[in-house]
Amino acid sequence: MAANIPTNFFSWVSFLMEKYGDLFLKGTLVTLEVAISGTILGFVIGLLVAILRTIPLPQGRWYTRVPLKILHFLLNVYIEVFRGTPMIVQSMVIYYGSMMVGIIGRGTPVLPAAIFIVSINTGAYMAEIIRGGIISVDQGQKEAATAIGLTHWQSMVHVILPQAVRNIMPSIGNEFVVNIKDSSVLNVISLNELYFTGKSAAGSYGRYFEAFFIIALVYLVLTFTVTRLLRLLERKMEGKKHYTIHGSQSDSASRITVSMDGKGK
Amino acid sequence: MSEILEIRHLEKSFGDHLVLRDISFSVGQGDVICIIGSSGSGKSTLLRCINFLETPSGGEILYHGQNAATSMKRTRYNSRVGMVFQSFNLFGNMNVLSNCVLGQMRVLGRKRDEAEERALTYLEKVGMSAYRDARPAQLSGGQKQRAAIARALCMEPEVLLFDEPTSALDPEMVGEVLNVMQDLAGAGMTMLIVTHEMSFARDVASRVLFMEGGVIVEDAPPSSLFTSPRQPRTQEFLRRVLARQL
Repeated sequence: MAANIPTNFFSWVSFLMEKYGDLFLKGTLVTLEVAISGTILGFVIGLLVAILRTIPLPQGRWYTRVPLKILHFLLNVYIEVFRGTPMIVQSMVIYYGSMMVGIIGRGTPVLPAAIFIVSINTGAYMAEIIRGGIISVDQGQKEAATAIGLTHWQSMVHVILPQAVRNIMPSIGNEFVVNIKDSSVLNVISLNELYFTGKSAAGSYGRYFEAFFIIALVYLVLTFTVTRLLRLLERKMEGKKHYTIHGSQSDSASRITVSMDGKGK
Repeated sequence: MSEILEIRHLEKSFGDHLVLRDISFSVGQGDVICIIGSSGSGKSTLLRCINFLETPSGGEILYHGQNAATSMKRTRYNSRVGMVFQSFNLFGNMNVLSNCVLGQMRVLGRKRDEAEERALTYLEKVGMSAYRDARPAQLSGGQKQRAAIARALCMEPEVLLFDEPTSALDPEMVGEVLNVMQDLAGAGMTMLIVTHEMSFARDVASRVLFMEGGVIVEDAPPSSLFTSPRQPRTQEFLRRVLARQL
């Protein structure tokens, strides 16, 4: 056996990879699962909050005005609380809190709780990011939507939010990357994510540097890939750079393609 | 009388600032009413109050004799009273055709086929059907405004409000938009137009309202308002403006 004990950095890395590769892979999948579902659910929460927070206050009618004001206040509280406390603390409070009041039992799997925590935390940030996106869309379009009879919900869903979301894609990407990295704090509620597996592997042989070197590389690969994929999606959302003119003065059946980058076709 | 809209003692204030005071007039079927006056006289605010983009502070707006603020759904009223904006306000995330289809499908409940067919009819009318696939960012100002007019027409409103529709356009594009509006007037469309185009008001309007300081100073047919204005303030305004135009 003694001959098998690694002697330098590289052999330790390959040793740990061989021994704990499967564990790291599992950790990676858990991290991805939490980050992806947390970002998506958080995005949905953010959209809903942003739609609710932009409902214009009707003038003069107290019976719609007062409930709306209360709702706005509660949403502000939600945002302030979850942006104003660290996620590591939130996970402790929420996880052990709900265990104490009996919402979840001792044996409950920790993954759903983890996803819930990341979602609700991301939702608070997303709500503000999306609010910024809504402000970035010219107010006149909302008025035009109102003027043809669309409701607040319809004008948000069909006109404002598609443009707002496109404008904030870089920030959404940021949130995703942050979630990949910050899901590591969930190790405090014993979630088997990437950092947690690194800790287990490192502890068994006392090789912290080598183990976390591997973990760091995996995080880097994950975040880099995600950034690239989002950039691709962003480009797709920009829409076509050309359009077709149907018919010309001399020929009604002609089709002329006009390209915005000056390359006519 | 076939009055579509009746404005009664309308008032609007922003804080302590009274922008509109005691505005009363009515809009009948087929009327083409031009509202003129200097900047800050309350013309645009009046138009925005009529379709409730601004909430009036006092008075009422009757739609076919019924209080528009209380007797009907806001979305339905808005679909009957269309609006064309100075800055076009086309939906930037969709092409011209979709701009015209959205309201028909979501507000009027039309099927896509029917909505597209009507959209093309109205786009044809404003000379924009060739550009149905283009996005707003790919169009000139005049084209955008004509598309915006088609979008409003698609809802088949009873009244169309125009808020300085040519003020944001290059001079050479003003004509194409005014021509479209003149065609609409000729076809019997009921229109309420805030404008600085005096020759258009003179040639096309059936009535001209002159506003100053938040009140309607004079309400008369263009033939008499432009040639023999009765109020001194109207005379003063026309002298200043007509020296440059016409």
